[in-house]
Amino acid sequence: MSLLREHWRKLALLIVGAGVAVVPLFVTGTDARYVLKVLSFVGINALIVLGLALLFGYAGQVSMGHAAFFGLGAYASAWVTKSLGLPWLVGLAAAVLLTAAAGILLALPSLRLKGHYLAMATLAFGEIMRIAFVEAKGVTGGPDGLSGIPYASIGPLSFDTPQMNYWLVWGVLVLAIWLAANIVNGRPGRSMRALHGSELGTMASGINITGIKVRVFTLSAVFAGVAGALYASVVGFVSPSTFSLHLSVILVAMAVLGGTRSLAGPLLAAVVLTLIPYADAILPGLSREVMTVIQEWEADVYGLVIIIVILFMPGGIAGALRGVFVRGGEAK
Amino acid sequence: MGAPELLQFALAGLKNGSIYALVALGFTIVYASTGVINFAQGEFVMLGGMLSVWAHSTLGLPLPLAALIGILGTAVIGVVFELLAIRPRKDGDPLALIIITVGGSLLLSNLARHVFGPSERSLPAFTAGPSLRFLGATLERQSLWIFGLTALAVVVLTVFYSRTRLGRAMRACSINRTAARLVGVDPKRLVTISFALAAALGGLAGVVTTPLTQTAFNVGSSFGIKGFAAAILGGLGNPIAAVIGGLVLGLLESMSIAFLSSTYKDAISLVVLLLVLFIRPQGLLGRGGREKV
Amino acid sequence: MSLLQVREVTRSFGGLIAVDRVSFDVHDGQIKAIIGPNGAGKSTLFNLLTCFDRPDSGSVLFEGRELFGERPDRVVRMGVARSFQNTQLFEEMTAHENVILGTHARSGSSFTPAALRLPSARKRDDLASQEADRLLRLVGLESWRGSLAADMPHGLRRLLEIARALATSPRLVLLDEPAAGLNTQETTALGEVLYRIRDHGATLVIVEHDMGLVMEVSDEIVVLDRGCKIAEGPPRLIQKDPAVIRAYLGEEDADEL
Ligand SMILES: Nc1ncnc2c1ncn2[C@@H]1O[C@H](COP(=O)(O)OP(=O)(O)OP(=O)(O)O)[C@@H](O)[C@H]1O
Ligand SMILES: [Mg+2]
Repeated sequence: MSLLREHWRKLALLIVGAGVAVVPLFVTGTDARYVLKVLSFVGINALIVLGLALLFGYAGQVSMGHAAFFGLGAYASAWVTKSLGLPWLVGLAAAVLLTAAAGILLALPSLRLKGHYLAMATLAFGEIMRIAFVEAKGVTGGPDGLSGIPYASIGPLSFDTPQMNYWLVWGVLVLAIWLAANIVNGRPGRSMRALHGSELGTMASGINITGIKVRVFTLSAVFAGVAGALYASVVGFVSPSTFSLHLSVILVAMAVLGGTRSLAGPLLAAVVLTLIPYADAILPGLSREVMTVIQEWEADVYGLVIIIVILFMPGGIAGALRGVFVRGGEAK
Repeated sequence: MGAPELLQFALAGLKNGSIYALVALGFTIVYASTGVINFAQGEFVMLGGMLSVWAHSTLGLPLPLAALIGILGTAVIGVVFELLAIRPRKDGDPLALIIITVGGSLLLSNLARHVFGPSERSLPAFTAGPSLRFLGATLERQSLWIFGLTALAVVVLTVFYSRTRLGRAMRACSINRTAARLVGVDPKRLVTISFALAAALGGLAGVVTTPLTQTAFNVGSSFGIKGFAAAILGGLGNPIAAVIGGLVLGLLESMSIAFLSSTYKDAISLVVLLLVLFIRPQGLLGRGGREKV
Repeated sequence: MSLLQVREVTRSFGGLIAVDRVSFDVHDGQIKAIIGPNGAGKSTLFNLLTCFDRPDSGSVLFEGRELFGERPDRVVRMGVARSFQNTQLFEEMTAHENVILGTHARSGSSFTPAALRLPSARKRDDLASQEADRLLRLVGLESWRGSLAADMPHGLRRLLEIARALATSPRLVLLDEPAAGLNTQETTALGEVLYRIRDHGATLVIVEHDMGLVMEVSDEIVVLDRGCKIAEGPPRLIQKDPAVIRAYLGEEDADEL
C-alpha cells in the first residue's frame, strides 16, 4: 500500500513539475516580462523557505538572519561575476562556500548550547552583515549597491531572457527540493523525527543531535546563498536595503505558516505569501487602489499570520492538509 | 585625547547604557517568567516614545502627563499582547513563544506606522535650558533625567522584588516554575505581570530618550538588539546583571567611537553579543552552572 | 584489565547524596547486577556511567578511557549502550524503525550520501533494516515489526528498547529494570535474551528488583543502599550478607532474599 502511495506521489510530483516547467510558454502578452520576473522571485523565496522549513520544521530551530545569507550569496556572486569578470558558476561556488562557512561558524557554538541561542546569534549576524553590506563599499558598492550584474550563464548557455531566468530559478529549486526531500526521507530525517519523539532516546541511539542540527542549518544557509546568487543575476542589481531583518522575519513567517515536518506546506506558503504584494501579476484585473492597500497592510498581515498560526494551527498549512487527508483516509 | 573628551564620551556611553539597561531589564523579566526571549521588547521602547509624542503633540497634554501615558499605555499594550498572543499557547513551548514575539514585533511596529504615521517624531526636553558644563564636558539636561529615572526604576524594581509578596513570588518562579504555585500565586498571572513590567520599562526608555534621539515606528528592533546584547552581556535572568550589562555596553560603544570610528558603533553591540554567546553564554555575571545535557 | 572501572563516583542533589563514592569493576563477558532498595541511587549511577548526568567527582574508565566529560551520544558510539527505567522509545515510529535508529550510532547520519541518494546510502539502509530484523528476532519481537511503539504492551516496550540498545553494537549494555512489568513467563524469556546477548559478546550490567532473575543470571552483584555500596560479590554470598539483609529489612524484597 505504501508502495502504491509512493507511486502516486511520484506521479503527482511529475505533473506539478511539468506544470511548472511549461508556465513560461503560456505567459505571453505585454506584461509577460513582469509576470515571469515575479514568478522568478517566487522561486527564489521558495528556495530560502525550503531551507528554513528543514531548520524550523525538522530541526526545531529558527533563524532570524536568513536575509543575511541571501545577501551574502548575492554580493559574493555579483562581485565575482561583475568585478572579477569570472564565470557565473564561479560566482555561484563563491556564494555556496561563503554561506556554508558562515553557517558553520554560527551554528557550531550556538547549537552546542541548549535552548534557542541560534535565533539570537542569527539575529546579530544579520544586523552585522547589514552594516557590512553598507560599509564594505569596495566590494558591495555601499548604500547604492551594485548594478549591471551580468546574467547567469553556463558555458554557451546564457540565461538572458525572462523565460530563461524563470527556468534557471525553478530548475535550481527543483534540485534543492530533491535534496531536501532525500534528507527528510533518509537517515538525517529519521534522526530528526526521533528527536521530536524522545531526546533521551535519540542520545541513547548514539545520534549526534548537534551535528545534525549544524548540518541542517548550514544547508539552509547555503540554500539562501544560492537564492542570493540567483537573485543577483536575475535582477542585475543588489542593494543593502533588500537584506533586512524585515525580510528575515517574513521568510520565517512563510516557513511557520507552511507548517512543521513538511516541505510542501512551506513551499506553498512561500508561493502564496510572495505573490500577495504582486497579486496583480496573476490577477491582472486588480486595480491600483487594491494593490496599494495590499502593500500597505502586508507586513501587519504577516505579523498576524505568524501569531495566529502558532496559536491556533501549530501544524500550519501542512498540518491542516494532513488533517484533511487523514480524516478522508479513515472514512474509507 | 584629553580627560574632558574622555569624560564626554563616558557620559554619552552611560546615557545610552542607561537606556540599554532599561531594555535589558525588560528582557530579563520576561525571560525569568517564561524562559523566552521577547523579540518584541524593542517595540515597547518605540511605543513609549510614540504614545507620549501623540499625547503631547496631538492631544496637547502637558509633558509629564504625556510621559505617564507613554509608560502606562505601553504597559497596557504589553499586557494585552501577553493575554492575546502568549497566554493562549498553553504548553509554553519556547520555540513557539519566540516566534510569536517575532510576529508581535512585526505587527506592533506596523500598526504604529498606521496609527502614528511613518515620519520621525520628537518630544521637547523635560527641562528646557542649555546643556550643563561638568569638568570640561557638556551634558544635556535630558541626560540627567535619563540617569535619574533609570536609577529610580532600578530602585522600584528592587523594592518590588524584595519587599512585596508578588515580587518574591516572581523571583521564586524564575528559579523554579512550580515554586510560584507553592507560595500561592498563579504562575499565569506572573507571566502577565512580567510583560506589564517589561513593557513599562521599555516605555520608560522610549519616553526619556525621545527628546534626544527622536522616534519612529521602525526604531524598535535596534533598541531591542542593543538591550538584548546588554542582557546577554550581563547574564540573562539577573536584573542587576542586566543593568551592569547595559552600562558596560553603552561605555564600550562610546569608547569605540572615541578610539576607533563611529562607523562601527552599531556593530560593536552585535559583535559583543556574538562573542558573549559563543564564549561565555552565561554572561559576565552569570555563574558557570552545569548545563544538563 | 576490566572492561569498566568505576572509581569513587559521587553525585549529590542539593543536600542528598544520591551516589556516594561508589567503586566497582565490570569484567568482560560478565553479567553484573546492581540491586538496592528504592531510591538507593541505581538509576542515578546509570545516568552517570552513560554521561546523561555529570558527577560531582570520581572517574569511570571504559576500556581504559575516561568517560566522564563525554557527550552521551559519544559514549554510546564508544560502545556503552543503555535502556531507561522509563522507556524512551520513539512512540510514533514502528518497532522496526526504533531499532534502525540504534544502528545510526555506528553509521552516522551520513548527511551527504543521504541528500544525494548515493548507492552507499541505500546499501547502508538495507543493512540497517536487516540488522534491525535480526535484533527483533533476538528479543522475540519479530511479530511486532510494523506496530507503532506506542501501541505495544508495557513489557514488550522494554524488550524493544533493549533491541535498540543492541543495534548500536555495544560492548557494554546497561539495562535499568528490564523485567519491570513482565509476567513470570516473559521474565524467564528475558533471562534467555540476556544470556543470548552475553553469548554475542556483550557485557551486561542490569539494575533489577526481580531477585529471582538477578540470582539466576548474574555472575556478580553490587548492592547499593542510600547511595553507598554496601556489598559486592557472587549471588550466593550476597544472599547471606548481613548488611544486605539489614538494608532490605522492612522491604518486601527481604523475604525473597
Ligand atoms: N534529578 C534529581 N534531582 C533531585 N533528586 C534526585 C534526582 N534524581 C534522583 N534523585 C534522588 O536521588 C535518589 C536516588 O534516586 P535513583 O532514581 O537513582 O534511585 P533508584 O535506586 O534508581 O530507585 P528505584 O529503584 O526506585 O528506581 C532518590 O532519593 C531520588 O529522589
Ligand atoms: Mg531507578
